[in-house]
Amino acid sequence: MRIEWKKAPVGRRGFLKGATALGAAAALPMGFAGRAMAQSDGVLRVRNYGDLSTMDPAHSVGVVDETIHAAVYNKLIQYTPGTEWGWKLDAAAMIEQADPTHIKFALRDDIGFTNGHGAMTAEDVKFSFERIIADATESPNKPDMGPLSHVEVTGEREGTIVLNDPFAPLWTIALPYITGNIVSKAATEAAGGRIGVDPVAESGPYLRTSWAAKEKTVLSRNPDWKGEAPVWDTIEILPIDDESTAEIAFDSGEIDLTRVSLGSVERYRSDVPNGGTLVENPSLFYVWLGMNLDHPKLQNQKLRQAIQHAIDVPSILQAAYFGAVEPSTGIVAPGLAGNRPASLVPPAADFAKAAELLAESGETNVTLMLDVLNKNEFTTAAQVIQATLASIGITVEINLLESGAFWSSGDNDDLQLVLNRFSMAPDPSYATAWFITEQAGIWNWERFSNEEFDKIHAMASQETDLEARGEMYRRAQDLMEESGAYRFITHEATPVVHSARITPGLRPDGLMLLRDFGKA
Amino acid sequence: MLKFTLKRFALAALILVVAVTIMFLMIRAVPGDPVSIMLGPRATPELKERLIAEMALDQSIPKQLLLFFGGLLRGDLGVDVFSGRAVSEIVFEQLPHTLKLIFSAIAWSAILGIALGCYAAAHPNTWIDRVTATLSVSCIAAPAFVVALLSLLIFAVQLQWFPAIGVGEGFWDTAWHLVLPSFAIGLSWVGYIARLVRASMLEVMGESHIRTARAFGLSERRIISVYALRIAILPVVTVIGVGMGFLLSSAVFTEIVFARPGLGKLVIDSITTRNYPIVMGAVLVSTGLFVVSTALADLINALLDPRARTAT
Repeated sequence: MRIEWKKAPVGRRGFLKGATALGAAAALPMGFAGRAMAQSDGVLRVRNYGDLSTMDPAHSVGVVDETIHAAVYNKLIQYTPGTEWGWKLDAAAMIEQADPTHIKFALRDDIGFTNGHGAMTAEDVKFSFERIIADATESPNKPDMGPLSHVEVTGEREGTIVLNDPFAPLWTIALPYITGNIVSKAATEAAGGRIGVDPVAESGPYLRTSWAAKEKTVLSRNPDWKGEAPVWDTIEILPIDDESTAEIAFDSGEIDLTRVSLGSVERYRSDVPNGGTLVENPSLFYVWLGMNLDHPKLQNQKLRQAIQHAIDVPSILQAAYFGAVEPSTGIVAPGLAGNRPASLVPPAADFAKAAELLAESGETNVTLMLDVLNKNEFTTAAQVIQATLASIGITVEINLLESGAFWSSGDNDDLQLVLNRFSMAPDPSYATAWFITEQAGIWNWERFSNEEFDKIHAMASQETDLEARGEMYRRAQDLMEESGAYRFITHEATPVVHSARITPGLRPDGLMLLRDFGKA
Repeated sequence: MLKFTLKRFALAALILVVAVTIMFLMIRAVPGDPVSIMLGPRATPELKERLIAEMALDQSIPKQLLLFFGGLLRGDLGVDVFSGRAVSEIVFEQLPHTLKLIFSAIAWSAILGIALGCYAAAHPNTWIDRVTATLSVSCIAAPAFVVALLSLLIFAVQLQWFPAIGVGEGFWDTAWHLVLPSFAIGLSWVGYIARLVRASMLEVMGESHIRTARAFGLSERRIISVYALRIAILPVVTVIGVGMGFLLSSAVFTEIVFARPGLGKLVIDSITTRNYPIVMGAVLVSTGLFVVSTALADLINALLDPRARTAT
């Protein structure tokens, strides 16, 4: 069977019409060529790896929220952008440590809250800080405030922060980070004490104009801001959790800045599209292999030491991190007080020593389970560990877990080996907090329990002498390593690419400080 | 027709209840303590206890299920424990993005697939038919994620004709942002529909009422478009109805690759964080979407072909 179509007669007019339509269709994409690149000069578009969850600093879940909070709220002090950790004055015109437990401050007189909530006063500071530690607030960020007792208001814009004990992280975490954001007392109380996904009053150089869930958050200039004028008219923050997607968005010119995957570093080292720049920042994260000290199979310290010496960190870094990161010496990253210049067990494996230790342990036919989060770098690292331990006769079975199941492993008594990675704030106390005896079976998955370590953790946060404090944390990490429960691997890295038209404001660990972004 | 419609929607409601119950039980079987995962390392025991009570996790599974359906009957899908927002608000905020993606993909693939199928059927065993067949099978064989990534690299990164991420604002910008994602998930449907229409058309074209129409001297174009296609399109309508489920799953991947908001991404994020109320809300809506679309496909079939009403 053959079915014939009638041929439609195409006259001159018809042909011209068709040709015009085709021409327009063909030209259409050309008209849009470079469209994505043509960002408005006053609009900065950056990627965040997650979406905003709250505008309430008391309930902020971390750096994703804080990136936005830091631009729309003020703190007494803010982190400075650059390669070294430090802080600068923000809402405070003056701040000083009067004695180990008293910090005096005076606010600037030109900061006001939006929505008619008036000038920022010391009462707002008192309300914001005491709200974090109040039981009724149920703030998960309460530990950041440490031994904060209260804030004394001594004048309209003057006050004193009073601590129960000296607390060094006040200057590194509490004031310049999440808990340091000052909210309006009047506005928050009017909102019933809880701030949701919409701000009740803002005071920073930018205002949160809009938020579309999982789409974008838009900040715009605060017209009433009297401080240094913000450079951008508008900042769009796009939540893109997938690194590859973010890289494509950057390559196509749709965003000005994104963190990139370690696997892409080599590509960007050779060429960043559109004249952009690659910035390779160190990271504060720490990755390690942990051994459950309570597990019957891991009771023998010689066996644990054999495992420590048989794991070849450079091989892991080459295979899993594409050689773009450095080995770590512990849980405290370079640049922070307490970073160790070298670990007790060198990064490179010593198979002869490992075999010797295994023989001394008297253990034979050792088979262990290694729990791993199902992400590329961890699965690759686990395979390297599996191969290297096999070379001394230890069999490793890899147990891949999705994130929900993996992060519930704390109370798993059957846990044997675990490849782990914790996030970190720029103070060593934030790292040691998870390895104290009290945390055993919660976040201390190795069930490491050491009286001296616990004591150091408690005392070091009160030590205000930087060198003495650093020495204490170095000793704490020695204790961890000596237990045989830890093989430190890396702090990873935060490679960031940015477009040619911006100068990014980044913390030393590569995270964004939006108010410090400028134009090239 | 009314009786058929009522029966079909009663069945749809039953399917919805069964599907949601299965999903509810599966979610509860997922390993990992939801409260610890949701609240993170800083959570106090008091906060954990409050969350457990708020989410009714201290109740038995059957009681939790009853509470869920009880809330559902009152139109209450619960509250997101993180933001304090109503789950229905969060889900329905994301739903339009997914619907736009799915319907645009279905629309362009159906239009092109039907046209290609008709054209191939009109020229059976000719080079046109063979080219169409080759193109159709190639389209079917192309995995959506490969098409998505390649189209991104070519049209967004290299040529910069289309945006790589986001959903856009306003009608034209939204449409422009839909081009690549809907192309990615619709492409395999073009081939599938084209092959289906061709086979169906060839079968219909051999039937006696078509021969009668020819005998009356009707033009081939009229015979195809008015008489043959109306019957030949029935399996396509059914396939599109059922295909909504597949498109929903394709949308999950596409939403991640193109950094688009939507139901798929919402479900993935919520499962990862064990945010049960949102998972259940999103699953309920997407299951409802699937069930309603298949029911609608059956109704359209029944409208187009009265025999379908008595067949069920």
